[in-house]
Amino acid sequence: MSMHEEWTDRLSDYLDGELPAEECGDVEAHLRECAHCSDVLNELKRVVALARSIEPRPPQSDLWAGIAERIDAARQRSVQPVGRVNLTTFPHRVPRRIAFTLPQLAAAALVVAAVSGGLVWELRPPFPGTAEAVPYERSAAADPAASAADVGRPFRGPVSAADVGRPFRGAEAGGSDARIDTVGLADPQYDAAVADLEKALKNGRGQLDASTIAIVEHNLQIIDQAISQAREALVADPANSYLSGHLVEARRRKLDLLRRATALTSEAN
Amino acid sequence: MALSGETPSRTGLDTDVALAAEGDASAFERIYRTHVARIHSLTRRMLSVHEADEVTQDIFVRTWQKLGQFRGESAFATWLHRLAINVVIERRRSFAVQRERMTDDPSALDMLTVAPARADLTVDFEQAIAQLPPGAREIFTLHDVEGYKHREIATMLEITAGTSKRQLHRARMLMRKHLGGS
Repeated sequence: MSMHEEWTDRLSDYLDGELPAEECGDVEAHLRECAHCSDVLNELKRVVALARSIEPRPPQSDLWAGIAERIDAARQRSVQPVGRVNLTTFPHRVPRRIAFTLPQLAAAALVVAAVSGGLVWELRPPFPGTAEAVPYERSAAADPAASAADVGRPFRGPVSAADVGRPFRGAEAGGSDARIDTVGLADPQYDAAVADLEKALKNGRGQLDASTIAIVEHNLQIIDQAISQAREALVADPANSYLSGHLVEARRRKLDLLRRATALTSEAN
Repeated sequence: MALSGETPSRTGLDTDVALAAEGDASAFERIYRTHVARIHSLTRRMLSVHEADEVTQDIFVRTWQKLGQFRGESAFATWLHRLAINVVIERRRSFAVQRERMTDDPSALDMLTVAPARADLTVDFEQAIAQLPPGAREIFTLHDVEGYKHREIATMLEITAGTSKRQLHRARMLMRKHLGGS
């Protein structure tokens, strides 16, 4: 560092009144004797003066159309119904956006899948002894390597997604006739099926031990949470196909879990 | 530098803010037109010409979403400006270059060596700002153009006041060189 730099490095602080009084005196004494540093100080003053005088310039193109479009889209979202979610409509305001990143949603899906898989293992029916009848979970559990590899895969379970639309005959527990035909995922059908299964499960819960009931309830709670979060996310982003699929899947899992649990009460009978 | 929008039609601006908060898009458009030059200039200087349009739009959409939080405790222009700076800072952080920008780079002093054309000093001055190293440009804009103190800048950027002072001096020396200083 040259002798000049030693002084010029302090000139900005001096100019801004940031130097302690003693140092200020030293700088001023130097400036009286050094033409170079005085010139630098004057040039820095000019830079600061110019910076303070530059006027704002508008963008070269009008940006309003893009802003209006985004605001309008957000307003549309705030009043568009999604499923049976009750939306609070605000006078104008875009609702607080509940953002889930794909990794977050994927993690949530994995949790649901893993827990559901674990539950199904817990609730598995007696081993029937035929290779064809070995359910998916049992095969995976018998092969730890396969089990680990399956963590990232969508959970299929013994009942495929196609089963959701097939006649269901497993909910005949506790003496109640909870038989349901052709369960779909449309809200009225779905809710009716869930309500019937919940009723059957309630009636038959006396047939299950406490730990099984606790597992079932815990998993239902997790799935309900996943459903609720997916619905909230869809309110903010209704066109998101990933979220829609996630919601459908979560609801299917709830139905599946209820069916298995009620079937278990039938078997215990 | 005066905050645009505070001087003309103060009552009109307050009315527009209130109307926009109730969902009046026309009032919000008037707010946009009053403030867009200053907000766009801020984003252009702190980021780049290429990012300025997109980030300016982000800022106004965010403003619309947050209008209900404006309590009138400060001038609306001040509130909007601070919101804009937050969006810009978020943008920069999202590219994870904050730390690198704030490190000393001795070669930076050689970056600006071309003397400006004198025909349009303001435009040229803006171009010179755009050529500053990012960290120095950010602090030069906030301190010398926008009038923030080192203490405020340090808080906003999560750096020390000393770093802010060093970067400012670096930026001023580069600008001085650009203006023909020895």
